[in-house]
Amino acid sequence: MSKTITISPTSRQEGHATLSLEVDDEGIVTTGRYYSITPVRGIEKMVLGRRPESAPVLVQRICGVCPVTHTLASVEAIDDSLKIDVPKTGQILREMCLNAHMINSHAIHHFLVAPDFVPEEDYIQVVKNISEIRKQAQYVEDVIGGEGIHPSDIRIGGMAHNITKNTKNKIKTRISGLMGLLEKHVEQMAGYIEAKDFPKDLGVHAQPVLATSNTYGSRQNINLQSINEIMPGSWYEDKYTEQEDEEFAKETKKTAKKIGKTACSQIPLYDDTPVETGPRARAKKYRKFDDVGVKAQHLARAQEMLNAAECILDLVDKVDPSAQTMAKYSLEGTDRLGVGVIEGPRGTNLHTAKISPEGYITDYNCIVPTTWNIPTMGMATEGTHYDYAPDVIRAYDPCLSCATHMVVVDDESKEVIKDDMVQL
Amino acid sequence: MIQDSVLGPHQEILTARATDKKILDKSQDGGIVTALLVYALEKNIIDGTVVAGPGKEPWKPEPMVATTKKDILKSAGTKYTMCPNVALIKEATRGYGLEKIGTVGTPCQVMGIRKMQTYPLGARHVTDKIALVLGIYCMENFPYDSLKTFIQDKAGTTPDKVTKMDISKGKLFIRTADDETAIPIKQTHGYEQSGCQYCLDYVAELSDVSCGSVGAKPGWSTIIKRTDKGASLIDSAIEDGVLEVTETNEGKFGLEMLRKLSKNKKTQRQKNIDKKLDMGLQIPFTHSKFKEDILENR
Repeated sequence: MSKTITISPTSRQEGHATLSLEVDDEGIVTTGRYYSITPVRGIEKMVLGRRPESAPVLVQRICGVCPVTHTLASVEAIDDSLKIDVPKTGQILREMCLNAHMINSHAIHHFLVAPDFVPEEDYIQVVKNISEIRKQAQYVEDVIGGEGIHPSDIRIGGMAHNITKNTKNKIKTRISGLMGLLEKHVEQMAGYIEAKDFPKDLGVHAQPVLATSNTYGSRQNINLQSINEIMPGSWYEDKYTEQEDEEFAKETKKTAKKIGKTACSQIPLYDDTPVETGPRARAKKYRKFDDVGVKAQHLARAQEMLNAAECILDLVDKVDPSAQTMAKYSLEGTDRLGVGVIEGPRGTNLHTAKISPEGYITDYNCIVPTTWNIPTMGMATEGTHYDYAPDVIRAYDPCLSCATHMVVVDDESKEVIKDDMVQL
Repeated sequence: MIQDSVLGPHQEILTARATDKKILDKSQDGGIVTALLVYALEKNIIDGTVVAGPGKEPWKPEPMVATTKKDILKSAGTKYTMCPNVALIKEATRGYGLEKIGTVGTPCQVMGIRKMQTYPLGARHVTDKIALVLGIYCMENFPYDSLKTFIQDKAGTTPDKVTKMDISKGKLFIRTADDETAIPIKQTHGYEQSGCQYCLDYVAELSDVSCGSVGAKPGWSTIIKRTDKGASLIDSAIEDGVLEVTETNEGKFGLEMLRKLSKNKKTQRQKNIDKKLDMGLQIPFTHSKFKEDILENR
């Protein structure tokens, strides 16, 4: 007997989403629908009519997990709209900051998926390693970006401050000092992932990948004309499998309609089809990595941490502590569409902005990595047992972040007074 | 710890000066701040410091990160105008990569640093890197334009010709290579920055160590040891011969003077605070009628 399985909210990811699965008699998923239930906050609307400098500050609040990515995509879009040439050292510092963030964010994901892969006896040690890796990566984000979370020094035109020789040496010492642990950690995680007894072809799908460069991102490698955003209603409603059982067919159509109304994100298509973006997409396009499925996604992500650390070590030598990091610019725009493309930890992050001749933002739009992945994630659950569907979802490291888990603790008695989800 | 509402909590008060001639030549009085920062740097207690370095205009200091003795010496000597050192502390932990910062400030700046440590909003991974807080005595401070008025209108010279400025015995002395003008402090009233009218702290009560010339003979400084960190720094500096100690004058021109000035500042400013609060204005201080001890700094 076919039935619908609903998992809501899906766990160990950032933000809130629901997974609705139609399964056959054996429990194999025939249609998977993954959709965001994180409310729309209107950040793209909020920046309209404001000075360009407000945009990076506001849009970085889209998320506390990958603020560096959003800040960079925002300044890149505005730099492009105003035709600003960022000084070389400023650009190097931006790239270093993103690579540090890449290590940090992937490490957080390892923490989230550790219960799936890491044996109990190794658990504490692995979590300790993750904490150490994050600490060193955050140090680099701190000293270059000004703040690890919501960086203040990434600005339109470049970076607010250069770093001194002293800081340069410290970054070098800390990251080269981290390499040993990082290599060990990646090898260890890869071992656990390989050893996991997942069904063959778990998470394999036929969708293409989207990536614009090996690291950082490139606006040259994305074609805006290929992008089409459709409303969730039409996507989720149109997508259902023909059912023999008439009663069930009626029911699934009803569910699909409801999902179309509940889903909080638009569905972006590239060349009219959903895509996968993220570490595996980058690895496939730029690092000759052809594996597919859940394990491949985890392996590509782990490997990317080393890639990012090597990038930092490579870039830090190129920093000239006495060079300019900020370009001179004027705020008067031409309403030209500026494009900012950043390869964030979860994939291609696209921001576009227009600045008016009076120097105000007239148009702002973001398509963030998880939004790209949302339709693909549902499809990737199809063909295996629904028990494994959450594993498929977690392999994408989805980030629908904007709900905060708030706990109020009595200062004296340490008693938890209030424990609920607060949606912002 | 001695709980004292006039001089703030402290462990011991002593009179000392630096032994390094190079420091004494450049410093205001006993060269304590300069000597302690250099000593803390050499002993690896701090790896750098934010000081009031030379700015673009003479006698107008600008915050500067110093990581060598040479740079610290550049900032020696008092400049009687505001220098926003606290604003550079965060950047010192970022672009400058410092992990153990030595700071020096007027009482209000020390309060700012302590407040930042208590509520580190916007100062994540900053406050844990503050290793030392030195405080200097301060009755009031002048905006740079006020200082220029004293120099140009009262002393009839230009800032670049001034060699030293000094407040002692109730007068502001402005010295050039061949002249000296003394302006009675009373005549400077109205020129100080307005916030000083509500400040209850004369001796940087929240610092690790406070110091200043009041209470000591010329060329020496009075040091107030406050926290354990501050006390051990002073003790080892004395042991290593960086500071030399002389007998502390407890009398009328010694500690009594220090107490008198602090007490005067507190009582006078409390009146200003009460007046503003009675008018219904919001200022972040407590009305004397709600204080058990009106000298308390809160």
